[in-house]
Amino acid sequence: MTVHKSRWGWRHGRWQGLFLALLWLGHGGWVMLGPDPGRHWTGLTDALARPSQGLASRWEQWRSSRREAARSFAETRAENLRLAAELAQLRTQAAQDGPRLAEADAVLQLLGLKQQIPLELKAARVIFSTRPATFGGLILDRGADLGLVPDQGVLAPEGIVGRLWSVGPTQAKVLPADAPNASVAVMLMRSRATGVMQGMGSGRAQIRYISNQEVVQVGEAVLTSGLDRVFPRGLLVGYVGEVVPGDLELRIQVNLSAPLDRISAVLLLPSQPPLEVQPPFVAPVQKPPRKRGTP
Amino acid sequence: MRTPAPSSTRQNLLCAAALGLVFLCAPFPRVQPVVHVLLVLALAPRAGAPLASALWAGAAGWALESSLRLYPHMGGTPWADMSVALLAGWMAGRWPLEGLKGWLARLASLLALHALLVHGAVRLASGSHPWGTGWLWAALTLPLWGWAVWRLMYSGPSPRLG
Repeated sequence: MTVHKSRWGWRHGRWQGLFLALLWLGHGGWVMLGPDPGRHWTGLTDALARPSQGLASRWEQWRSSRREAARSFAETRAENLRLAAELAQLRTQAAQDGPRLAEADAVLQLLGLKQQIPLELKAARVIFSTRPATFGGLILDRGADLGLVPDQGVLAPEGIVGRLWSVGPTQAKVLPADAPNASVAVMLMRSRATGVMQGMGSGRAQIRYISNQEVVQVGEAVLTSGLDRVFPRGLLVGYVGEVVPGDLELRIQVNLSAPLDRISAVLLLPSQPPLEVQPPFVAPVQKPPRKRGTP
Repeated sequence: MRTPAPSSTRQNLLCAAALGLVFLCAPFPRVQPVVHVLLVLALAPRAGAPLASALWAGAAGWALESSLRLYPHMGGTPWADMSVALLAGWMAGRWPLEGLKGWLARLASLLALHALLVHGAVRLASGSHPWGTGWLWAALTLPLWGWAVWRLMYSGPSPRLG
């Protein structure tokens, strides 16, 4: 039997078998690729590119997050600086507005006091204080232009201040209640004993002409009696600080309730006010009629 | 008694003629599958020559698909044809023919296998597609073309016998 060999030493049968296997397998592989062979290459390239795409996306995400963080940090820092500047500005403004707010509070208190006293009260602002000097007092910014006359009572929300001593065209001088030459007709709240209060300086005064027989307690409130026709009855003057029995009368020391050194606005009573004033009549609020059957 | 194998020249000539008929029968969709199956199952297989069998079967498959121009991704029919032709050649070597009945029975079984394999391969290659009626016409005419091939290749005058 003759065996035919090819040029490279293989028999023809082996070459035929190899060619046949390649032919059959090639057709089978081509069939297995399916209706859209390009999708296999696309899927393969997608699968191969997926790791690099994942890395690239993570890198880009990290960069964007870092950029965002840097931007937010810069924005936060700028906002912090802006808020600090705004806070300093607000503090400065608050410091500037402090006196005005205090004055506004005082005005509000005066307004409340004005609503409680049913008299025609006038308001004025204290522009200067000469109390440390001899026969000193408080200088008001209004005078005859507001219709002020001497001996008008001067009030503060905490209590009486004094009376008008002199009135100029645009200013007026107040004689405080603690001045040595000032006197106010007062009465004790519990015993209703009346006397005359004379100033002793430094926010203190002394009540005279109260008998030894009266029982006076320290801390008792002292009110105006209205007998001097400068203040109506019942305005707060101060509180009893010390009681010393004398030969014929008690020596009662009174601490004035009005802070004479820190007053910025006052109310002025009308001249020759009535002896006693009644609080304003406030009509009670009528409730709506309840319907029958409702709880 | 074993039936002698036909000469390779006659078989190749018959295969070439059948391949030309596959192209020529393209306008006749009921005839073309029959000729195609005839070429793949009856003419192309030859014991001891698998390469020639596969080449003729593959050519038949490509001729059919290229003339049909139906599938988006061709190649399923040639692959199935080559597979069945290789199987038929191996069967011819393993179990030599002994008569017309055995020949027809072998063709019938190979025809069923071929129909299933072609459908599956085309489904793999191009996606789902209708079965068609080619397999039915091939099965109905199997006795006719089986007998004709038997007469032409196995029981006719042999060049070796003179």
